[in-house]
This record gives sequence, structure tokens and C-alpha cells, in this order.
Amino acid sequence: MSRAPAIAATGLVKVYPGGVVANDGVSLRVEPGSIHAVVGENGAGKTTLMNLLYGMEQPTAGEIRIHGEPVAFRSPHDAIARGVGMVHQHFMLFPSLTVAENIVLGREPHRFGRLDRREAAARVADLAERHRLPIDPLARVGDLPVGLQQRVEILKTLYRGAEIIILDEPTAVLTPQESDELLAVMRHLADQGKTILFISHKLAEVLAVSDRITVLRGGRVVGERERAETDMDELATLMVGRLPAPPATFRREPGAPALRVERLWVRGPRGEPAVQGVTFTVRRGEIVGIAGVAGNGQSELIGALTGLVPAAEGRILLDGQDITRLSVRERRAAGMAHIPEDRYRWGSAREASVADTAAMGPHYRPPLSRRGLIDRSAWLRRAAAIVAEYRVRTPGLWARAGALSGGNLQKLVVGRELAGDAHCLIVAEPSRGVDLAAAAFIHDQLLARRERGDAILLVSADLGELMALSDRILVMYEGRIVGEVARDQADERQIGLWMAGADLPAGDPPGDPASAQQGGDAGA
Amino acid sequence: MPDRLTEGLIDLLRPLLAVLLGLAVGAVAIWATGHPVGEAYAALWNGAFGNRTFLGSTLARSSTIALAGLGVAVAFRAGALNLGGEGQLALGGLAAALFTIYVPLPGPLPLVAGLLAGAAGGALWALLPAWLEVRFRVQLLISSLLLNYVAVYSASYLVSVPFRDLSGGGALAQTRLIPEAARIALLPGTRMHAGILITLALSLVLWFVMMRTVTGYEWRMTGLNPDFARYGGVDRVRALVTAMLVSGAVAGLGGAIEVMAVYHRYIDGNLTRPGFAWSGLMAALLADNHPLGVLLAAFLLGVIQVGSTGMERTTQIPLEISSVVQAVIVLFVSVRIGADLLRRFRGRRAARG
Ligand SMILES: Nc1ncnc2c1ncn2[C@@H]1O[C@H](COP(=O)(O)OP(=O)(O)OP(=O)(O)O)[C@@H](O)[C@H]1O
Ligand SMILES: [Mg+2]
Repeated sequence: MSRAPAIAATGLVKVYPGGVVANDGVSLRVEPGSIHAVVGENGAGKTTLMNLLYGMEQPTAGEIRIHGEPVAFRSPHDAIARGVGMVHQHFMLFPSLTVAENIVLGREPHRFGRLDRREAAARVADLAERHRLPIDPLARVGDLPVGLQQRVEILKTLYRGAEIIILDEPTAVLTPQESDELLAVMRHLADQGKTILFISHKLAEVLAVSDRITVLRGGRVVGERERAETDMDELATLMVGRLPAPPATFRREPGAPALRVERLWVRGPRGEPAVQGVTFTVRRGEIVGIAGVAGNGQSELIGALTGLVPAAEGRILLDGQDITRLSVRERRAAGMAHIPEDRYRWGSAREASVADTAAMGPHYRPPLSRRGLIDRSAWLRRAAAIVAEYRVRTPGLWARAGALSGGNLQKLVVGRELAGDAHCLIVAEPSRGVDLAAAAFIHDQLLARRERGDAILLVSADLGELMALSDRILVMYEGRIVGEVARDQADERQIGLWMAGADLPAGDPPGDPASAQQGGDAGA
Repeated sequence: MPDRLTEGLIDLLRPLLAVLLGLAVGAVAIWATGHPVGEAYAALWNGAFGNRTFLGSTLARSSTIALAGLGVAVAFRAGALNLGGEGQLALGGLAAALFTIYVPLPGPLPLVAGLLAGAAGGALWALLPAWLEVRFRVQLLISSLLLNYVAVYSASYLVSVPFRDLSGGGALAQTRLIPEAARIALLPGTRMHAGILITLALSLVLWFVMMRTVTGYEWRMTGLNPDFARYGGVDRVRALVTAMLVSGAVAGLGGAIEVMAVYHRYIDGNLTRPGFAWSGLMAALLADNHPLGVLLAAFLLGVIQVGSTGMERTTQIPLEISSVVQAVIVLFVSVRIGADLLRRFRGRRAARG
């Protein structure tokens, strides 16, 4: 080996306050100019490892060398100075500033003591060109889709001179097309000599793009493979010790209508009509999937269904009862449960305990409380049951929710919402950030609820997930339902076209094109 | 493995640590002004605990600080940044005085009625900023703070003009004495009064409410993440209003007890000049809004405040030394809160995988 490895970590140990050993002697070697993937089940210690390399956390023991030089980062600032950049799963951008402003922030070009906007835009345009990451430097970041916001984050690390770029689950929030683009970008950056280190739960993309793969389990490295010498089965086995069972089959036929949405209009955060006259029905024992590029009204639709956002116009019926004006609690009492798309914003509070997180929703009524008094043992029993059933890795029921790994918190939130006997489930991105086994388990649970006769609305950016679970898929574009297709006729290409807002193609689109085009009055 | 118990202990020790730090810096200040440190702190100790009278004053003051602090703690836990303690305390005291003076009741009822009137006065006044926030989105932090002036000057006017006691020549802006039956008993020869028992009981009750009742759970979750609470079906308005009512009631009770036990009348400025509300805020922040911790923090602040008046009496050291000590404590609290915010901000950027 002539060149020193870009990253050489030896014997990294990280013990969090509270005693959790998140990394337990991890050694990692990343060659310069390569793409290196880190995989492993939820709570394996992947994010922790990245945070150590980026100076976000300090190792309890062990050594890190960057390009052969030993380093002791006390903050990300130190890491950036050594050419290490990181793109977090939640972006750190200012939505009201332009792309260029976001990128140069902290290292702005000045002219007569003022920010030189033209110079900033020129530099960003040049940077984007060199790295083949096309973007409009003058666009407002808040107006960009998630995929492009991520691109801004990557450009930001490049602008600061990153030679090593760390990405934590970069594709978890992307649509399939955006994911493909990102993988191409990563490849191109590596060809230019940058070193890429990334985390993913999606083994297919890991195998498609990386040169080398490290498998973590319980805070230790349990395997390290060249891409050529491994396959999905082996990786999955290394990660979890077993392969998830194939998804259950569909037996039951859908029954009577449960959730009915009639000509629903909902305003977005800036008052714009985000949902425009949407009509559809979800029947008992049916999973209806909603496909669409993020930001086409799905969030507002979910908000209106669950009572978090008022409906501007139209009606929502649950079992024939008009629930349009009911409060969140009344809807929950009427049998609705809600797996939120953002587990941090809606699904939990970082400083709340696992037990308090697990109680939210039915906390005010038996068995969790009586006459306004909390029944502590019922409270703990419920949390313990969810933790056990969903294999949530947590130091205890009193641990802070924020101390759980991303996937484990997701499992806790999903478990909480599926713990009750709700018969109408509003489910958004249920397997975001969870590992293969947990995703399969969650899918099984949803299918079991379908067989039991529950009505499920499933919103997901993951087309594979939608196709595996849904009886029917509706496609949302710019606030409207522009297409509908039944599961046995689902055609990825067609759905992709609808998602992109392409005009309906010639020939017979699957499903019922007439009703679909008029806003998809499906299933009634 | 560190568990909740040790974490809880550390929480409780924090006020102590802050006070020790404050005393250490105070020692430097005393030394720098050329006074003997040992003698000064001996005088402070003596001023706070030296005899029954001093001890009684210390406990009485701590008790009122604690009530003001408990009020703050309840509101802050629910995410309502109630800085209106001063006004709530003053109006609680005034309500207790006026009610017991002008509404004659038989037997021991005046005592109960006075306390209830005080609580109601504070609670109703606290409702105003809550309403402004819900109805007009006026920041509660700002409105509650500004309303202090309205409350304090209104009370001032009321006891200066319409309700002024003119019996003794009317030299002072104060009400008449409240009836005997409305006075809270003092331990003979001291200022220590039975209201302290109310404070102790109340802090336990509030701890219980916060940790073991549905209302407390909803307050806490609203305070930690209002979106999460809303998502779970918590009515934000209800949580805000109930938390402010309880917060104001507790502060109002503090004013009522001060009036009914110590002065037996509402004297203009007596509830504001000692800075009970601000000491209470400090106690709540020191204790991280933990009801039992507030007791400890309030006690320590009471010791410093009463002890340093004793120190001034018996040594040449000016009262301002106590301000130095308290300023350091405030600094300690702010640094900690700042670090906390920073950690949360960093935490948000990190590790969302
Ligand atoms: N700030 C923290 N305080 C205490 N424990 C923590 C903290 N962050 C993570 N942990 C614990 O460390 C372990 C590893 O967490 P980490 O976030 O590194 O997992 P991960 O591999 O990224 O998992 P996922 O795939 O779910 O994102 C988990 O058991 C988690 O509970
Ligand atoms: Mg992670």
C-alpha cells in the first residue's frame, strides 16, 4: 500500500453517559478515492461511529488517523479543517436563504465589507459545474425538493474543502429516482478522488455503489468485504444472523368503506392550496398506498386526516361519521392511529422517557390512567411490551427517547401506534431508518392488521414498499390524485411517470383512468 | 451503571454546587475589599441560623421564595414562560387582605377564605397573558413580564387611595389590619409561620401532579415538544391555561401567606421590594423546575439573603456581597442553560440516523 488510508480508525470505543457502549473496539480502514459503506441493524453503532469521525462526539478510547495523521477532533470544526465533511440525515440549511448563501455561509466572499452575492453565486456555480452537481445558486433552499437540498449539503462540504464526505442514511429520505442520482454523484466524486463513507439499510444500493463494505453488529465489526466477494444474502446474515421471512400473502377481500375523503382541500404552511379536491375511499381490510414525490401534498393530506391541520373544504368520514371537525383526541377515540412521517417532530420528544413516549395517545384513559391519575404499572407494562415485541434496543424504560438510535425510536413509535385496537391506520414512512428485519416485521404487522379488517392508508416515498403492501396505489402530484392502479397491475414505470407529472401516456393506463384523472374517486 | 436515582441526585446537588460556587466568588470579593473571609461567613451563618428569630426569618423568606419558584416551575414545565410572578404574588397578597377585611366570615373560615382569595387573585391575573397568547398570539414571556407593572402599580394605587388605612393618620400606603381569625400563627418570638407547612405540602402535591397525573403528563409533554403533544391528542390551549392557572395560584398563595402571616395587612411594596418573584425564578431555574429541588434551592437562597443582612449588621461588609453571590449563581444557571441549548442544537444536527 503506497498511500495512507483516508481514514484509519483503530479500537474505537464510545461509551455514552448512561453507560451504553455504542462502539466497542471498532477498527475501520477507508482507502482514499473509494466508496465505503457501513451497514448493520438498528442500534449497531453506525451513526455513533460517524459522529466520532466527524468530531461530533469524542471517543472513550481508540485512535483516528486521517490521511495517516493522528487526530483528536474536539468538534466538527476541527474535522472540517482536516477535510472531513458530513451530511446529516436532517439537513442544517436555512430555508429562507438561497442555495449560494447557504453554501458560502461562514466563509463568504466579501466586497467592501459586504457579502458579495455575485461572487458567491459564481463560486457556487463553478463548484457545481466541476463536480457535476447542477443546481441553481439563486434558488431559495426552502423551495427545493429534498434531493436538491441534499445536494446543497454536499456542495457545502465540498466548498469547505472536504476530501472525505460522510453521509448518514442519505437515501432514506429520497425517492427512487433521487436515490439513483445520488448514487451516481457519489460515484463521480469518488472518481475525482474524494473518499465517501456512507450508511444505508438498503443493501441493493450498497452493493451497487460501494467498493468496500463494513458490517457492524452490537458495536463491533463483524465483517468487512470487498463488493465483488459478497452478496445480499451474506450481508444480511452478517447483520442480523438471519434473513427476514418473505412478506405474508393477501387472503382477505376488502370489505365495507371505512375512511372516506370527499373533495378535500387543505392549505399548506404558506397558505397555498396543498391538497386540491382529493377524493378517495379506504375500505376495511384494505391497504391504499399513496405514491408521490415528497412535497406534493401528502403531508397536508395526512395532517388533515389526523386533525393536525384544518381542512379548508370537503369532508372526511370514518365509518360514515363526519370527523372533519373533530379534534385529534376525538379521532383517535373513534379508532384512528397515526404513524407520523417525522418521528422527531411529531412522534416523540427527545427529553421524554421511553415510557412517556410509549404512553402518548391513550394516556388519559384506562388502562393507562383512571380518574386523571396515571397507573404507573400499566404505563410501564405497555412500554415494556412494545419494547419487547418490536425489539427496541434501549438502556431502559426511563432512558431519554433522544438517546435511542434512529431506527429504534422509529420502532418504538410504530409499536405505540399499532399497540391499540385502532381500525383506521394513517401510516407514513413506517420503515424509514429501520433495518431489514425490523422493516419486514413492521410490514408483517401492517399486513396482519389488513387481514384483521383494518383500513390502512400508507404514504411512502419507497415505491417498493408501496407495491409490496398496497391493494391499490394512488399517485399524488401537485395536490391532486393523478393516477390509480391496483396491486396486480402496478407498473413502476407508469407510476414514475405520474409522479413526475407527465401527461397520461397513450394506451390504456392501468386502473380506471377516467376516474383517476378527475381526482381519483377510487374504490367507492 | 448510572441510573435514574443517581441522575436525580445530581440534579438535586446542582443548586448546592451553584451556591458553593457563589460563596467562593463572594469570598474572593470579601477578601479583595480587605475583610476577613472567615469572620464574614461566620456572621452570615449566624445571621441565618444564629437563634430562633434568625432561623425563623430564614425559613419564612425561603417559604415565599419557594412558592414563587413552584409557580414558575409548573409553568415552565408546560412550556409557558411565565415571568409574571411578581404581579401574581402582589395581587394574591392584595386579594387575601381585601377579602378577609371586607368579607366577614365566622369561625376559622377567614383563614381558609384568605388563602383561597390569594390563590384566586394570582390565578386570574395569570390567566390574562395566557388568554393574550391563545387569542392574539402575544408572546406569553413578554406579556406576563409587562403585566407585572400593571399589577404592581394597580395594587399600589388601590392601597394608596381607595383602600388606604386612614386610622393611624394614614401616613403609609397600606390596608387596614386583617381580622385576627385570618392571621396565620407564628412560632412565638419568630417570623416562622405555619405557612411553611403549606409550602412543604404544596411542593409534594405539585411533584405528584406533574409526575403522576394525566394533567401533569400533558404539561410536561407540551413543554418538551408541543407538536408531539398535539399529535397525541393533547389540547394545547387547555394545557396552557391550566398550567398558568396553577402557576398563578401558587404564586398568589405565596403573597397571601406573606400578608396573612407576617404583616397582617397589605403594605405597598412589601411583596415586591424583597424580590421574591425573581428569587423564585432563580430557584426554579437552579432546580431545573423540579418541585422538590425548588424547595432546596429556595432554602439556600433564603439563607444567603437573610444571612447577609445579619452579616451587614455585625460586620463592616456591605449587603451588596449577597448580590455578588447571587449574581454568580445566576451566571452559573445561565451558563448551564446556554450549554444545554447548545447541546440540544448540536444534538439536533447530529445522529438523526
Ligand atoms: N446520545 C446518546 N446517549 C445515549 N445513548 C445513545 C446516544 N446515541 C446513541 N445511543 C445508543 O448507542 C447505540 C448505537 O446508536 P447509533 O445511533 O450509533 O445506532 P445506529 O447504528 O446508527 O442505528 P440506526 O440504524 O437505528 O440509526 C444505541 O443503543 C443507542 O441507544
Ligand atoms: Mg443511525
